[in-house]
Amino acid sequence: MKYIFKFPDIGEGLDEGIIVAWLIKKGQAVKVGDALVTMETDKVVTDIPAPKDGIISNTFGKVGETIHVGEALVEIELEGIEGAQAQDENLKVEAVEEEGAGVVGTLEIAGNNAVLSASTEGVVAENSSKLLNRKALATPVARAMAKDLGVDINSVKGSGPAGRVMKEDIINFSKQKSNYSQAPKSGVSLTENSAEVEVVQMSQIRKTIAKNMIQSKHNAAHMTLFEEVEISELDRVRAKFKKPFADKGAKLTYLAFVIKAVALSLKKFKALNAEMDMEKGIMIYKHFYNIGIAVDTDKGLVVPVIRNADKISIFEIALKISEFSEKARLGQITLDDMKDGSFTITSYGSIGGLFAVPVINYPQAGILGVGRITQQPVVKDGQLAVGTVMPLSLSVDHRIADGGETARFINQVMAYLAEPVSLIMD
Amino acid sequence: MYDLVIIGSGPAGYVSAIRAGQMGLKTAIIEKNVIGGMCLNWGCIPSKAIMESAKLFDRIANDSNRFGIDGIDKKAISFNWNKAVKRSDGIVKKLTTGVGFLLKKNGIEVIEGEAKILSANSVYVSNRTIETKHIMIATGSKSPEVMSSIEAFVLEPTQLFKEREMPQNIVVLGETPTAIELAQAFNMMGKNVSIVVPTESVMPFADQYLVDHILAKLKKDRIKMVFNQNFDNIDSIYKEGKLTFGEEQVDCDLVVNSKRRIAIVPSSEIAIDLDEKGYIAVDENCETNVKGIFAVGDVNGMSYYAHVGSAQGMHVVNFIQGIQQKLDLKKYPLNMYTVPEAAQIGYTEAEIKAQGIEYKVSEFPMSANGKALTEGHNEGFVRILSETKYGEVLGVQILAPNATDMIAEAAAYMEMEATVYDVAQTVHAHPTISEVFMEAGFEAVDKAIHK
Repeated sequence: MKYIFKFPDIGEGLDEGIIVAWLIKKGQAVKVGDALVTMETDKVVTDIPAPKDGIISNTFGKVGETIHVGEALVEIELEGIEGAQAQDENLKVEAVEEEGAGVVGTLEIAGNNAVLSASTEGVVAENSSKLLNRKALATPVARAMAKDLGVDINSVKGSGPAGRVMKEDIINFSKQKSNYSQAPKSGVSLTENSAEVEVVQMSQIRKTIAKNMIQSKHNAAHMTLFEEVEISELDRVRAKFKKPFADKGAKLTYLAFVIKAVALSLKKFKALNAEMDMEKGIMIYKHFYNIGIAVDTDKGLVVPVIRNADKISIFEIALKISEFSEKARLGQITLDDMKDGSFTITSYGSIGGLFAVPVINYPQAGILGVGRITQQPVVKDGQLAVGTVMPLSLSVDHRIADGGETARFINQVMAYLAEPVSLIMD
Repeated sequence: MYDLVIIGSGPAGYVSAIRAGQMGLKTAIIEKNVIGGMCLNWGCIPSKAIMESAKLFDRIANDSNRFGIDGIDKKAISFNWNKAVKRSDGIVKKLTTGVGFLLKKNGIEVIEGEAKILSANSVYVSNRTIETKHIMIATGSKSPEVMSSIEAFVLEPTQLFKEREMPQNIVVLGETPTAIELAQAFNMMGKNVSIVVPTESVMPFADQYLVDHILAKLKKDRIKMVFNQNFDNIDSIYKEGKLTFGEEQVDCDLVVNSKRRIAIVPSSEIAIDLDEKGYIAVDENCETNVKGIFAVGDVNGMSYYAHVGSAQGMHVVNFIQGIQQKLDLKKYPLNMYTVPEAAQIGYTEAEIKAQGIEYKVSEFPMSANGKALTEGHNEGFVRILSETKYGEVLGVQILAPNATDMIAEAAAYMEMEATVYDVAQTVHAHPTISEVFMEAGFEAVDKAIHK
């Protein structure tokens, strides 16, 4: 009994992927969960696991080829299932696929905390597919017309008896839709390539960023606090350890210290490491301190997560940062790399900008922005001196963290950074 | 303070009153004559009762022998007008009593007298002023007057169905389906009938295809047609049992006025706008220029059909209760009680052409239908006009012995925006005349089976 496994919808809103590497060969036995193939999508590089036990009888597509969701990936000879029973098995799987459920369940997807959050998308897709299964009351002509015009009849409000969707509703709906896409001003169409504008399709990563930004701005009550911390001492320590770290393959940046300082501060101010579920009416305080760091890539922003930053050494943190930078550059950050963050740091200062109002990586409680470090006149012990100043911008979800808690938290972070030796004292 | 005062208890008024009562509105209905109005008392119902007598007489006289009944001597049987009218009166009485009962049951106050509108919120009737939130004018229509110096020579429809001596030569005036219906009924009773039409054709709202068939049928029935003759006084053209129109003459002992009807506008102290033809001007919800005053049925000139008046009235009741719906006259059947009956719904072919819609005509003839043949009615057809892209049913015309009942199916298709595929997939029982509808559906989708 052969089973055709198709490239599943991995719950990321992706519709295609490129084969990076085959991890199995024809004739090889696989078990459920064994990695079959590494696929690169717009967002991540991820391994696709086997859905069933069996022997690989065929693979489809060569390395570098693009495979669309729903296209065949591998053919598996199922073990111990023959004849009619085998057919049943096949029918069962087909039925599941037809419901549009895909095989999301077999894939581990990114947690809520990654910017490229995947799980909420998965949930939404499931809900909306349930909604779609509910057949709208509509007239035969309205149905035919909706199909023809590519209108989702379930999203049209019906004006007929008992909310029946009528022909006119479809006409109005599609008119409205075309109105939206019309050029807002000037009379020149801005949706087509011309001398004035270049029009490109949004990448998946851009769509995800856009969606997450709006979700955050929509759901969280943003409040931002600005501070400056004098870090001459930190600067000295960093200069001192830069070379030995580099010898062991880690670039020691200010960020490594900031991550450590934040992780330790979060342990003291639990609201900043929490999230809120208003629907369920609960607060979730996390006992893990996984710090996401925003990394700029040519495709867009990704946020890999440094796990247990409170427990690991600054060297290990520095090493992890170097590793993520390299992976990001190669486009190899995986969904696993991005999941389970509990707080995020965005270090734009290395590029430019003193202060910013960072957008919270929802549903986390806070995000710390690190600005450009400058030499500034500072007063030390009543004397004017040249200081090294790091600007900090802390955005919190004011629903979760109150002003006092937020101020005390940033004071703690500043204290760690001003006196780096304290990082090993707590 | 009433929620609604309705002026006129015809099918527009009394149906609205019952609906309003059901919805809990404090409602009064004012009637100056008899409950039921034109339709129940002098129109739809009596004319159908008389038509049935005429059809039966015609069948006995002309079809008995062919259908296997011996012993009927055509010369020995005659049509008894007065007995037919008595039977009709009995039906009318039963129905009007029924309406009276329904009004009472739904808590409607019936006020006798002639109403005068005083303001948007008050009506004067029988020496009292009634305060109300809304007023519905459902006063109906009447025939435009045709004068004659000879008494009872020109009969209005209200005077027609009464016991009397019926003369041999009858002239029916008018372009309306009712004029043709009455002419055919008289013709079947054995009268010599002419129709004098003020316009150049008949049945103004009907598809030309139906009109052509009816005109051909009238010719076959030997009913004389005189077109383009409009007058409001008969004296100048009447002389010694003949009406003269130029070189043409028709025998005439009695004139039945069935010309297109005009509005009966109630007296009012406030200005209620009329349109250029004298009907009360209304918007898409049948509201007049005065907020809170509505006009439904014949009086607004949109249609002369009882069921349209009822539908408009119920729409208004819903409207004042905040229930928003759309009145679409194109989804109401037009019934014409000719012989055979004609009925249509939706757009006519000319209207579809004018809109530039690509369409298909699918027709199936009565002559290929078993049930129609067994009944001896092989005249007629079902004709479906459908839009080519989605197959939406845009219009239906039926000529059949029971066309006015068969059109209900088309009305359902129109109401639900059905396509010819739905028509073709709807199984119709055999043997029935309704099968013709399904065959026309097959024809629209592909090919009829029995053609």
